[in-house]
Amino acid sequence: MRSVSVIGIGETRIGRFPERSLRDLIQEAGEKALDDAGIGRWNVDALYTSNFNAQFLCGQGHIGPLVSEVLGLESIPALRVEGACASGSLAFRQALIAVASGMYDVVLVGGVEKMTHQPTEIVTAGIASASDMEREVALGATFPSIFAMIANRYFHEYGNVRDEMAMCAVQNHENALLNPDAQLQKRITVEQVKNGLPIAYPFTIYDCSLVSDGAAFVVLAATDVAKAVSRKRIVEVIGCGQAGDTLTLASKRSLTTFSATMNAAKQAYAMAGIKPSDINLAEVHDCFTITQIINIEDLGFFEKGKGARAVAEGKTAAKGVIPINVSGGLKAKGHPIGATGLSQIYEVVTQLRGDGGERQVRNAEVGLTHNIGGTAATCVVSIFRGR
Amino acid sequence: MNRCGTIFTYSVVHSGTDAFKDKTPYVVALVAENQGISLARVEGYTEGKLINVGMEVEFFAEDENGNPIYKFI
Repeated sequence: MRSVSVIGIGETRIGRFPERSLRDLIQEAGEKALDDAGIGRWNVDALYTSNFNAQFLCGQGHIGPLVSEVLGLESIPALRVEGACASGSLAFRQALIAVASGMYDVVLVGGVEKMTHQPTEIVTAGIASASDMEREVALGATFPSIFAMIANRYFHEYGNVRDEMAMCAVQNHENALLNPDAQLQKRITVEQVKNGLPIAYPFTIYDCSLVSDGAAFVVLAATDVAKAVSRKRIVEVIGCGQAGDTLTLASKRSLTTFSATMNAAKQAYAMAGIKPSDINLAEVHDCFTITQIINIEDLGFFEKGKGARAVAEGKTAAKGVIPINVSGGLKAKGHPIGATGLSQIYEVVTQLRGDGGERQVRNAEVGLTHNIGGTAATCVVSIFRGR
Repeated sequence: MNRCGTIFTYSVVHSGTDAFKDKTPYVVALVAENQGISLARVEGYTEGKLINVGMEVEFFAEDENGNPIYKFI
């Protein structure tokens, strides 16, 4: 396998832009990534796109050629990857494998999602389709309620972590204050989180990630090619793992440990030849506040059952021992579903290049992204190192 | 004796999909019965009712997909 590096990144601001079209979002983020890579369109060998739900929310399928047309990529191979909220990192992994294999030298990966033009019930139904329609949604389960059941089980097994969950939201909002691409720039308190609009007990609206529009793109190249063309710090992809799990909540072996995360992380750490304590910062999939606590345990940053305490002690804050979601995460930067995995990579690459500005993490050499789809039924973990 | 199960975990849904928005708040739960665990809806929730893991619920019916519906005792 060849070494592969990220040579370009681009994203739109994440937010509520009901007036912006899919084309518009694609054009802005795609052109930014190509410009950032400093390469011409004729250098791109293939296009991997990710999108979760445009067919339902916008009536638009066939995203591959749409992106190709908007960016003037003409006849190169283009395809779309779908894996619910993990779509972006799944497309990234497919592109990575294609370049590592020697099939292509330079590949563009792009994700897009447009959600906020639809009313809440439609968005809720769209997101629910990431779970099982016959066995879960038909009974009245919503996506938040599925993770709320995980939270209540976590409370039963490890103790009530309601306050610490709220602190995850508070910290992510705090981090987003310094991210110009973030959807919400608003400081919140633990009390506000706990007393917010109830969505699915024990979650209030503040425990849930955002409904967002946005796009994020990444340019991957064989590291040898990257060295020849790149004017920026090259960020090498040193590890990547993917694992799956059953679709439904009821069929999972454990609700408080996500086996897809455990297995994907194990692969990624082994490929990179490093351990969790070598990671300087991580963007983890905080679709709900409980998920952030479970993720930092499953990724090996903290022992099982100790994640909540680590959050309360500030260990995951921007200046903590392992800064988590310095971008603001899905909670405050936003969650344009098909673009989210690539938006996480955007942040880690920005940090490893030292371009984080006010939110720059000190000594950022190795960063990790963790992206899950559905009820942790799909997971991709990727590890990056600045060269 | 009535068929019963115990709550493995649960949530009270306040924001439902279109098909269920008139039923809120309502309870969904993983219910354990005969060593198996299924997702179920539990009927008869009223605001403020205390629910906990391990609580017994009584089987009520199956929905059109064969999913179990229980009710609070």
